[in-house]
Amino acid sequence: MKYFCIFYMTAAAIILLAISSCKNQRRDTIVSLGTKNGVLYFGNQTEPEDLDPHIVTGVPEFHILQSLFEGLVTPDPRDLHPLPGAAHSWDISEDNLVYTFHLRSEATWSNGEMVKASDFVFSFQRILSPRLGSEYAYMLYCIDNAEKYHKGALKDFARVGARAKDDTTLIIRLGSPTPYFMSLIMHDSWYPVHPPTILKFGNIDSRGTRWTRPENFTGNGAFKLADWQINKIINVVKRADYWDAQNVKLNGINFYPIENNQTEERMFRNDELHVTTNLPLQKIDWYKNNAPHLLHIDPYLGTYYYICNINRPPLNNKKLRKALALAIDRKSLTDDILKGGQIPAGSFTPPNTAGYLFDPVVTFDTIEARKILSETGFKSGDSLPPISVLYNTSESHHIIAQAIQQMWKRYLGINVTLVNQEWKVYLASKTKKEYDIARMGWIGDYNDPNSFLDLWLTGGGNNNTGWSSPTYDSLVKQASKSADQVERFRLFSQAESIFLDELPAIPIYFYTNVYLLKPSVKGWYSNILNMHNYKHLYLE
Amino acid sequence: MKKNGTYSRGTSLMRDALRRFVRNRLSVTGCIVLLFIITLCLAAPLLTPYTYDYQNLSSGATPPGAQHLLGTDILGRDLFTRILYGGRVSFAVGLCATLVSVLIGVAWGAIAGWYGGKTDTIMMRFVDIAYAFPFTIFVIILMVFFERSLLLLFIAIGAVEWLTMARIVRGQVMALRHQEFVDAAIGLGLRQHQILLRHILPNIIGPVIVYATLTIPAIMLLEAFLSYLGLGVQPPSSSWGILIREGTESMETYPWLLIFPAVVLSLTLFSLNFIGDGLRDALDPRSSRE
Repeated sequence: MKYFCIFYMTAAAIILLAISSCKNQRRDTIVSLGTKNGVLYFGNQTEPEDLDPHIVTGVPEFHILQSLFEGLVTPDPRDLHPLPGAAHSWDISEDNLVYTFHLRSEATWSNGEMVKASDFVFSFQRILSPRLGSEYAYMLYCIDNAEKYHKGALKDFARVGARAKDDTTLIIRLGSPTPYFMSLIMHDSWYPVHPPTILKFGNIDSRGTRWTRPENFTGNGAFKLADWQINKIINVVKRADYWDAQNVKLNGINFYPIENNQTEERMFRNDELHVTTNLPLQKIDWYKNNAPHLLHIDPYLGTYYYICNINRPPLNNKKLRKALALAIDRKSLTDDILKGGQIPAGSFTPPNTAGYLFDPVVTFDTIEARKILSETGFKSGDSLPPISVLYNTSESHHIIAQAIQQMWKRYLGINVTLVNQEWKVYLASKTKKEYDIARMGWIGDYNDPNSFLDLWLTGGGNNNTGWSSPTYDSLVKQASKSADQVERFRLFSQAESIFLDELPAIPIYFYTNVYLLKPSVKGWYSNILNMHNYKHLYLE
Repeated sequence: MKKNGTYSRGTSLMRDALRRFVRNRLSVTGCIVLLFIITLCLAAPLLTPYTYDYQNLSSGATPPGAQHLLGTDILGRDLFTRILYGGRVSFAVGLCATLVSVLIGVAWGAIAGWYGGKTDTIMMRFVDIAYAFPFTIFVIILMVFFERSLLLLFIAIGAVEWLTMARIVRGQVMALRHQEFVDAAIGLGLRQHQILLRHILPNIIGPVIVYATLTIPAIMLLEAFLSYLGLGVQPPSSSWGILIREGTESMETYPWLLIFPAVVLSLTLFSLNFIGDGLRDALDPRSSRE
């Protein structure tokens, strides 16, 4: 009898629960609940490689890190000019070589300890450690002697131009004037890490230790890492002890790694996401006609391109690369397939990057392409060694790759195979140079041509092609040392001409940022770097 | 024995089966439809002026019409052509992988069920472990260590699909093991493998065939998933699974991209199921000879 009672009570409870949850569903969707509770639901494309700011290189990782860390200065949500961050003010010397940052004494790490100037120095030393193997270490090369230290020529970090005068004063001495320095330091590679946490789980230069697990994580951003379920969710919540906590309106952000942009769009439509990273190609027209208030097409400082493995035949043949580049009908790709306002790329640096202009030279010219191909010594496409095109699993990369595959077949008679890999496997193949041609996208880290052109310096962390040109190196380095904008741009265009003549990477199109956004998200401004400082966002 | 005392002429098991199968109208229809689809796929170059990879980017996705019988996809490729060529891949993968999974599954299940005891425990625990292993991770590991090839696709699919078959067969064999005809066979001094092959296996052929006909469409869809992960069929080639997956993605905007491949796959699936049903009835030694 007793058991029956329990049985009925349980059954009744279950039914009640079911009814009440049904009711809830009708009244509140996930997004409207999130809006009410101040939680942003963010479609973030892919599972991050790691959450270590000195290791990661991808855009999805940066989306998360922006919430967990705060640099010396932070970008203004509208025009990205530097606003005080961990530093409340800064002084610049007359000769533009010495920057003195005054840190906030009230800024703390998520474990309550104060953010000290020495933590920044430790972080710079960490990312520049040769054994850490950070692909972004070159972002700090503007610091005096940093390059020598990173390349192992200098062993003593004390001779590198970063010094903590006291707990709240950080002095950075540059090797040469760097006009874009203040926007450079907003990048993730300049984020501080908490030294005791790093050292607890390894050495200063250990990669992939457990410090980024939620139970160990220490950051200095407006949010802290609460939960990380692989391939499911990363959840960050507002820190009550953050120095500017009273101005942070969001209570948390849920990042969902949704590789399939079809799923992402469906979740958005089902009110499960506030914002998506992408929009499936097939849906753009539908949103343009039916829901233009949800569709956002923002200018975006980025280039979509294919890199060639210069160390591996047959792509070591410059003429072959040129023929391939000329046989891509970029206009057809952007107008017939992408339809999101993208621009066919005839150069590598996006037009008008901080005022820099370069005339497009890589065009669509099948006659010239065939002529150059006949000069390569390969009689026809069939006599070539097999070529494969590698891309990460994603529907739009897949469609573009198929279109380009067909163009090369039709115009040059070259058959290539397509290989797609999951994001982490793809990143590893690229770094290990186990590819012939690979898809890449580069989003400017700061608004300056240097962010695009110093990518291709010899041995650069993100130069996965194996390409190297001493003339190019010296031109880009000269440009970075020059304070005169006209002179800089002249040097940059000389460098870019060399690059586009050699074509270790074949530019395809300049990005636009096509995504969906709920009107309930406020304080979200379109900007060319797609940087949205979460602390200025609010929901209503 | 017939009533008037004359003996009926003995007929072989196979001839009986054939007679019963031909009488089953549904399964014969299934056979015809299946043969028709296979013929179309094989005769593809004669039936369509396009190649499966010919693109017309500026036209993009167009609905079915005079020029393109079943319309085109987002890259302007003729869908009819792609369905025909895709069918070749799907049939090859579906039939081969099913054969592999049936062979492994039946052997594994029959041995485990027949010998029982420790052998059974060890073999079935292995099946449990293999079941629990996440398939996606297994595939990604395969991709990292081996060259991509269609053979690898068969291995990956075979490696998961035989598990259910093994369980079904084991259960059937265990049920049959203590039946009288098996005791009789033992009593007659037959060796164990003879009993398994001649007396047990013919009795479990029904469920095996039915399950196998269900496995083929499942494998065709699994193949699409694997191709998406980069293992298996690579573009510009396609298969029905890939066409359906791509169709699902643009279901709302270009419905024909989903409808036609899905119809063809469903027709094939129905045919296979009817044939499977017919075969089961025909091959079952217990069914009457009328």
